[in-house]
Amino acid sequence: MTARPQDAALRRGRRGARLRRAVVGWGFVSPFTLLFAVFMAGPVLVSLAMSFTDLRSADVRDPLGVNFVGLDQYAKVFGDPLFLKASGNTAFFVLFGVPLTMTAGLAVALGLSSGLTRFRTLFRVGYYLPVVTSIVAVSVVWRFLLQPETGLVNSLLALVGVDGPNWLADPDLSLPSLVVMATWRNLGFQMVVFLAGLQAIPQNLYEAARLDGAGAWQQFRHVTLPMLRPTMLFVAVITSIGYLQFFEEAYVMTQGGPLNSTLSVSYHIYKQFGFGNYSYASAMSYVLFVAIVALSLLWFRLLKRKEQ
Amino acid sequence: MRGWIRPVAALGLATAMLAVAACGRDADGTQNEGPGTAVGAGPATGEINIWAMGAEGEKLSALIEGFTKDNPEATVKVTPIPWDGAHDKISTAITAGETPDVALIGTTWMGEFARTGGLDPTPEDLIKPADFYPGAWDTTVVDGTSYGVPWYVETRLFYVNKEVAGKAGITAPPTTWEDLKAAFAAMQDKGGAKWGVSLQPGATGSWQSVMPFVWQNGGTVQKEDGSFDFDSPESVAALEYYKSFFSEGLSPSDLPQGSLEPEFVKGDIGAFVSGPWHIGILEEQGAAGEYELWGMPTKQSATSFVGGGDLAVFKDAANREGAWKFVSYLSRPDVQATWFQTVGDLPSVKSAWDDPALKENPLLSAFGTQLNDAKSPPTISTWDQVAAVFDDKMEALIKTGMTPAEAAAAIQEEATSIGTGA
Repeated sequence: MTARPQDAALRRGRRGARLRRAVVGWGFVSPFTLLFAVFMAGPVLVSLAMSFTDLRSADVRDPLGVNFVGLDQYAKVFGDPLFLKASGNTAFFVLFGVPLTMTAGLAVALGLSSGLTRFRTLFRVGYYLPVVTSIVAVSVVWRFLLQPETGLVNSLLALVGVDGPNWLADPDLSLPSLVVMATWRNLGFQMVVFLAGLQAIPQNLYEAARLDGAGAWQQFRHVTLPMLRPTMLFVAVITSIGYLQFFEEAYVMTQGGPLNSTLSVSYHIYKQFGFGNYSYASAMSYVLFVAIVALSLLWFRLLKRKEQ
Repeated sequence: MRGWIRPVAALGLATAMLAVAACGRDADGTQNEGPGTAVGAGPATGEINIWAMGAEGEKLSALIEGFTKDNPEATVKVTPIPWDGAHDKISTAITAGETPDVALIGTTWMGEFARTGGLDPTPEDLIKPADFYPGAWDTTVVDGTSYGVPWYVETRLFYVNKEVAGKAGITAPPTTWEDLKAAFAAMQDKGGAKWGVSLQPGATGSWQSVMPFVWQNGGTVQKEDGSFDFDSPESVAALEYYKSFFSEGLSPSDLPQGSLEPEFVKGDIGAFVSGPWHIGILEEQGAAGEYELWGMPTKQSATSFVGGGDLAVFKDAANREGAWKFVSYLSRPDVQATWFQTVGDLPSVKSAWDDPALKENPLLSAFGTQLNDAKSPPTISTWDQVAAVFDDKMEALIKTGMTPAEAAAAIQEEATSIGTGA
């Protein structure tokens, strides 16, 4: 070492380090990249190509024997009354479901991180349990809860003299019922993320705020919320992506009914694939994909960390 | 070092251009293929692979011994697959050309799979159409060619609570549309039932309950020329009759899931329409012997719906001869009767019903009688999609202010834009 000029050794060392970093970096991304390239990229490209043809299930033995129809399938998507209905339902689900779930998740996290010290673990498990429970089991329980005559919800309403409706069979109430169920089912995940976010806020910020005479609300408004911005961005994006593709709740609880009031875009796509309209369903999938990307970008713009 | 990129890119481009050039449909479309080539006599040889779903898949091996006794050179391998995903699995197998020799196919899938060109036409020397119930046989015929054999069947009857009917003073099953409705009204007024009957208020699968009334009134799904016929006066009248059960308060329109059977057993619901599987369900609920079965009422005819499962042999079958011989064995009357004893599937072969276990059971023989007048929907490849439109409009007909004529016109319009897939 001593015989060599120092800067050359340094350069070689730096180059070695850079190479090592590159190898390590690629090493970490390679499992995903390889799996994506092998199992996803091909089908994704084929489905994109498919959405410009008139391929149906009867063509599967001769997939190239179809016509190229340009943007016809996309034009058809926007003229499909069921797709428009499903888009409206999905928008409703996202518009009400995302804020409701986020507020509920944040409220629970705040409660658990400050007020409730006894049985804290019990409550955490209680709120998180729905997230890890099978949707099939959840749907059975919720159908019992929402039974028009014997269900818990309507029995409670009867105690205060209200004649409860048939929640899932009423086209005006079925979708809001599913929103409430989805909120309950998903807030546990949000709670966990918000709890982590809350714990990362340094206590001395609160001390400083208190010294300046800030009350509980002001502390929440001017310390907690700004510090939670990155957490909220993450939660908002993940929840919106999940809710835009909402499917399971409708599939197990209402099969999209009554009168298509709970038909979601994903469910409509699923049905079209089932009918064998492969290229039409592909086109619809790409429309949904664009909507998801757009909404995610919107969240990034809204909740971007303010320039320091 | 980068020398390899250009040839690879050129190759890729060439492939893509070839693909685009190869695109485009042939002008001729589907045509009548005619019967399959004769299979000939003699025992089967080699391995026969078969896919079957549900209980059929699990129990089919019970029948293999009888087959291999007569065909010692042959072996049969059964792969049970779940009903969920069976459609996609078969469709994928046809795409890849990696099919088994035989598979159980849902009757409403026949049109779609036959049109892929993946199914082998039925050879006339082995299978005789006249042996089967005509409604069931029709499920195998696509564009005039048969692509399989009905394996088992089911049809729909009215399950009627005996006590409620007795109190209402009904001594014999009603035979006309008017009498049927009067009977349900009496079961509600005098029989103590909250609802005279429970009919499906639209939504998934309701076409199976509604189409029988359309057929009874002389309506059809398709005209002679192949175009849809949902808005004929006969269909509209049938929809009107079906809707009247709801508008006159005889049938509930929002019965919660799972409450049909308990309420029927209690006598709150006087009757409902279903297939043979409800015999077992009602037995589990302790209602065996407390109900009777009524056939469909007569208008022009007394038609019901026939469903079930078909057996089809694939074009890509490695052992075509063996496959058809096994299918023909499963269609033998004695084997069909044994199969009924094994899983409870009703035989699609008429002469199998001479078996005392079927003939002397009053419940089952009622299904046997109804099968003589039972229809299936046309074997068009878009049927599932057309049926979904039908189900949607039925729900709107019953739950909103939509009139029968509007519903019929809407179904006709949407079905026409979906087309028959031909």
